[in-house]
Amino acid sequence: MLKCRDVPAEAEALLDGELSLGRRVALRFHLFMCGNCRRYLGQLRLLLGAVPQMHGQASDEEVDQVLKRLHDHSH
Amino acid sequence: MTSLHDNASELAQLRNGDEAAFARLVRAHHRALLALARPIVGESEAAEVVQIAWIKAHAALKDFEGRSALRTWLSRIVINEARMMLRQRKREVFLEDMQAEAPGPLVDRFRSDGHWSVPPVNWHADSPDSLLTREELADCLAALLDSLPSNQRALLELRDSDGMPFDEVCNMLGVSASNARVLLHRARSRLFALVDHFEETGEC
Repeated sequence: MLKCRDVPAEAEALLDGELSLGRRVALRFHLFMCGNCRRYLGQLRLLLGAVPQMHGQASDEEVDQVLKRLHDHSH
Repeated sequence: MTSLHDNASELAQLRNGDEAAFARLVRAHHRALLALARPIVGESEAAEVVQIAWIKAHAALKDFEGRSALRTWLSRIVINEARMMLRQRKREVFLEDMQAEAPGPLVDRFRSDGHWSVPPVNWHADSPDSLLTREELADCLAALLDSLPSNQRALLELRDSDGMPFDEVCNMLGVSASNARVLLHRARSRLFALVDHFEETGEC
């Protein structure tokens, strides 16, 4: 039987698309029974969705610097 | 906001050499690419590596086929530049020991019978965007990312920030799949624990 303690690693494997059918069924069964682990998976999904945006946007100065070097390079 | 989903008209403009579209591309991805280069070549060389990568990306954009997200494509160019720079300097990859050590940050949140002793709190955010709209939390996350060991940072950047397939990440960084899984799990767990703590206390 899957324990809550196993869920963080299994949840990641699920989100990475690396969970076999058997392990997926075991996880789904556990999630059906366990609200804490459902919350964990939902919030982990949210968090990993935010990672690509975590660094924010470059400033005008940073963008200008890249474009200036690009311009110097091509002339 | 940046995303891994590219917009078709934006892509067409980029392929046609539209300079305003290129500036938008730089604005959207530059900081993430710096964050990728830093754990591999170190702080002082990261800016130069990313600058060269932008010059190469600019020249290659007309041939970009869209088989991966732009961000993933850009991150491949950055990694290749970083490795080339290390070779020229006759340096090894800057990553700390790829062996996994001590247990992750979530282990003390379970009882001995395997159930949660400290379950996750209910987060206020209901979307990735809304998670990052609180500036204090975004700052806490940025500080944590900076403090992670370079191996965990490089893995998290390539896999979760840049969307590179897992096998390719292992290949690029020269790390075994089993080690990469442990290290990635550790990094993600620390991010999760930080957000969870912030949601409960309003502090890092």
